Amino acid sequence: MEIMRLIVTGAVGSGKSTFIRSISEIQVVDTDTRATDETGLVKQKTTVAFDFGRLQHGPDMVIHLHGTPGQSRFDFMWDMLIHKAHAYILLVAAHRPEEFRQARKILSFMNQRVQIPMIIGLTHNDFPGAWSQKEVLLALGYMTENNRPLIVQINPTQKDSVAQAVIALVQQLIPCCCLLPQNLHDENITGKVRSYIPV
Amino acid sequence: MAINREKLSMVLQNFVTATADVQGAAVVTPDGLPLGSSLPLGMDDERVSAMSASMLSLGERIGLELARGSVDRIFVEGDKGFGVLTGCGEDAVLLVLASQAAKQGLLMLEIKRVLAELKLILM
Repeated sequence: MEIMRLIVTGAVGSGKSTFIRSISEIQVVDTDTRATDETGLVKQKTTVAFDFGRLQHGPDMVIHLHGTPGQSRFDFMWDMLIHKAHAYILLVAAHRPEEFRQARKILSFMNQRVQIPMIIGLTHNDFPGAWSQKEVLLALGYMTENNRPLIVQINPTQKDSVAQAVIALVQQLIPCCCLLPQNLHDENITGKVRSYIPV
Repeated sequence: MAINREKLSMVLQNFVTATADVQGAAVVTPDGLPLGSSLPLGMDDERVSAMSASMLSLGERIGLELARGSVDRIFVEGDKGFGVLTGCGEDAVLLVLASQAAKQGLLMLEIKRVLAELKLILM
């Protein structure tokens, strides 16, 4: 049984815990605690250690999803989690530009430590004032077209949308041929996932 | 009633200086923000607070998931000393750092005593 560890990271309120809750096949291990700082303005509870979810991918691969806390004071958790990761997804709330700086900080924190495949997931796209993919990439410091990571729009509350993002991330990690439909077995992430894989 | 910060710091400072083998103490919120602390030199209270919150939250989760009931304290024993985390009412967590010379029974008793004092301030 092969284990693939994916990290879900991003600033406070970008949808990391929701992302994992939407797709995990086990009951998610969360460490939510009542927020008492400025986080409390965005949401009532915040992750203080990590979220953990698991999903089966074919008969011999398990995907472990770890969600990090968003606040910088928990950067020791970022450090612990990223060192064991195979790939990561950075979630960015498109309608909260004031958080882009934090997202960029997380990005450079991760890049200083590991060179692993990553994608950017844009959440909260349906909110008023949401930035476009291109604008967000620029805000995160990707000035030129080359070397830009894949960016996808996600609705973390929807399983289908999250599954699509997980597949996109896994595709960054392993050569596409492994994911072709004929190589996939019936016990897949969800029945729907199969239809997302480009033939 | 507002929390008296000076009093909180004073109680912690007194506890650390008056109790043999105790090297530091901090009171933090369950989401990892410092309320008051008296820590050894070079230890950043923000970092210590965040770590305490992570550990307590994870410990509580372990207690729940592995059917150990609610967590009274979390005890870290290293070759250079002890770290003890105890809940301090609903909205606070007490972290005590002690050297390896500390007598565990005595340490627990002292922690219990200072907890009673702290709870009065945090009420």
